[in-house]
Amino acid sequence: MNERDKSLKELLKRAAGGPADRELKHDLWPEMLRRLEQPPARVPWWDWVLAASLLLCLLLFPETVPAVLYLL
Amino acid sequence: MTGTVEADLEQFTRGDMQAFEALFREYQGEVYGWIVRMVRDPGAAEDLTLETFWRIYRARARFDPRRPFGAWARRIASNLALEHLSRRRAEKPLDPDLPPRAAACAAPDPAVGADVRAKVVAAFGELPVKLRAAATLAMIEETPYAEIAEALGISINGVKSRVFRAVRLLRRSLEKRGVRP
Repeated sequence: MNERDKSLKELLKRAAGGPADRELKHDLWPEMLRRLEQPPARVPWWDWVLAASLLLCLLLFPETVPAVLYLL
Repeated sequence: MTGTVEADLEQFTRGDMQAFEALFREYQGEVYGWIVRMVRDPGAAEDLTLETFWRIYRARARFDPRRPFGAWARRIASNLALEHLSRRRAEKPLDPDLPPRAAACAAPDPAVGADVRAKVVAAFGELPVKLRAAATLAMIEETPYAEIAEALGISINGVKSRVFRAVRLLRRSLEKRGVRP
């Protein structure tokens, strides 16, 4: 690193306020545990109905496939 | 708790929650410390630490317990931090008038005028995310290149190249703003 780069680095450090405080202030395990205990997200039944309807449409009317792909 | 990190790793891959807790407690500080260096926002760093361990937990079956856990965790943390920086950049451009959020770092040096500081922050915020992350770690945090390379999954020359490009772009951008460091 040349002198110009060093002075840029110094300017950057001073503007940023120096290195970040790396110390974790509290234990994150309770939050982690809460997250692990959350039930997995479930897909609403209505979404299954829509997906099934779309699939049925595509099977019954295959000529609509290009149009659907275009809209996606 | 099972006692040693090796034993915890072995049991963690089999889904043992106590082993996961032991690993979490052992490594949470290290993972947080790495993320906060990259994102420089304690609140975001805590969220990303939790997300890192969440992904680690979900991917436990793929982990080889003979490999170092810390390096694996740091790689996942780095990817998440980069994603976060990209999202933050897309959502809201850096406001040069704002001080660093939630005081992840000390106050800016008062010897650097507010105007110059705003220009430096704005120019730095315009850097591509990967260059900005490398420059933050190398230039502000003074992290050794080898450590950065391992965490980002690139070579030491790759880190040097990113820092070099970041410096070049930053200098050009500052010169356009009338700042000549």
